[in-house]
Amino acid sequence: MTDAVIQMHDVTKRFGDKTVLDGLNYSLRKGTVTGLLGKNGSGKTTLLKCALGLQTPQQGTVTVFEQPALQLTGEAKARLAYVPQEISLYPWMKVRQIIAYTRAFYPRWNDTLIARLISEWELGAEERVGTLSTGQMQKLSIMLALGHKPDLLVLDEPVAGLDPDARRKFLATLLDIALSGERTVLFSTHITSDLERVADQVAVLRRGKIVYDDELSQLKDSVKRIRISVNGALPADLQDLPGLLICDRDGSSAVFSVQNFSADLPDQLRSQWRAEVAVEDLNLEEIFLELHHQLQDDSQHELEVADAR
Amino acid sequence: MSPRLLFQIHPSSGLPIYRQLMDQVRTLIAAGRIAADEMLPSVRQIAEDLQINPMTVSKAYSLLERDGVLERVRGQGMKVATVTTAQPSVRQRQQSLKPLLEQLAAEAYQLNLTRDQVLAALNPLLKDLK
Repeated sequence: MTDAVIQMHDVTKRFGDKTVLDGLNYSLRKGTVTGLLGKNGSGKTTLLKCALGLQTPQQGTVTVFEQPALQLTGEAKARLAYVPQEISLYPWMKVRQIIAYTRAFYPRWNDTLIARLISEWELGAEERVGTLSTGQMQKLSIMLALGHKPDLLVLDEPVAGLDPDARRKFLATLLDIALSGERTVLFSTHITSDLERVADQVAVLRRGKIVYDDELSQLKDSVKRIRISVNGALPADLQDLPGLLICDRDGSSAVFSVQNFSADLPDQLRSQWRAEVAVEDLNLEEIFLELHHQLQDDSQHELEVADAR
Repeated sequence: MSPRLLFQIHPSSGLPIYRQLMDQVRTLIAAGRIAADEMLPSVRQIAEDLQINPMTVSKAYSLLERDGVLERVRGQGMKVATVTTAQPSVRQRQQSLKPLLEQLAAEAYQLNLTRDQVLAALNPLLKDLK
């Protein structure tokens, strides 16, 4: 009945005394391309692994295709693909051999797509896996994940090792999937510009919880930076503005960002404070920074979590 | 016409991509580069050519349809709405003046002018109006 491909409810994952996921709730909607955004060490990898049943949380429930993530049937597993951050493939195999090997595990396989990607991504079929560069390994690994036309594709930092050209080609492949409308992609990244192009949804992980999950355009529409200047002293109730993120003030002017911007807010501020008001649009990178700036004391938590996996 | 020739998208701009598309469609129509009743490229074509998410394109098209800028042609896609000669309402026309007036009000406030002083300065400029 639900259109959620992955559902995580109250998931807590600890490594020793470090809590990485802290009562996290998340649901991944079918047919979307979702970017999972978070600082280094915020627990993105742990989230993805828990989401697919590759790690067992201490608490909470996870379902994939409405099945418990830890007891997926073979049929369900054949519908998903996961590309981890650290790729390990048999180094002694040739590219064409590892393709044939992977192909044998799946009931459906798209030979045409693979042939096309091999030539587009300039991978030599006769090259040994062990001799490939990091970027080439990443391409190969993504290609192997696409071969069985997964309904759900999960990628952990897929573009980190790719050059701009390969990145574009990879993003184009994601768009092909998006155009199908039926298939779902979830990828983690800290490179916001890639996300801006292909993702329609964005989920932000911070302090072990999903703190934002909505359309990317919605995020850009709702987080804005505002500059005001007044005649005389700044209003005292500036600090109480709902949704205020950061605020810098200097004499009779201030610059601040809000996370629940609405079109009538500037007018409201003009009449409330008799202020001159200017609104600035923020791109995703700036929004990401504003959202994180707010909680400086986060850094302690995130340092502890870093590489706990 | 090729989407690459029609649109210029900046994914890293603060303006959401769907808004960039909406603005550019409006500008293209205003500039006469796409005429009334002319078909626009399909969602798929735009997404593929500009390498952006198809949902984003759909969103822009739907909002333009809601605003009466575009019309959906069943089974074919979107076309530029047939031109209506009716003049926009007074309210709509006032609305387009608003940003300028806001600026005027803010500047006047900064200059410590009174309401009457501003109106007195403005009045002679409006002498050609009815």
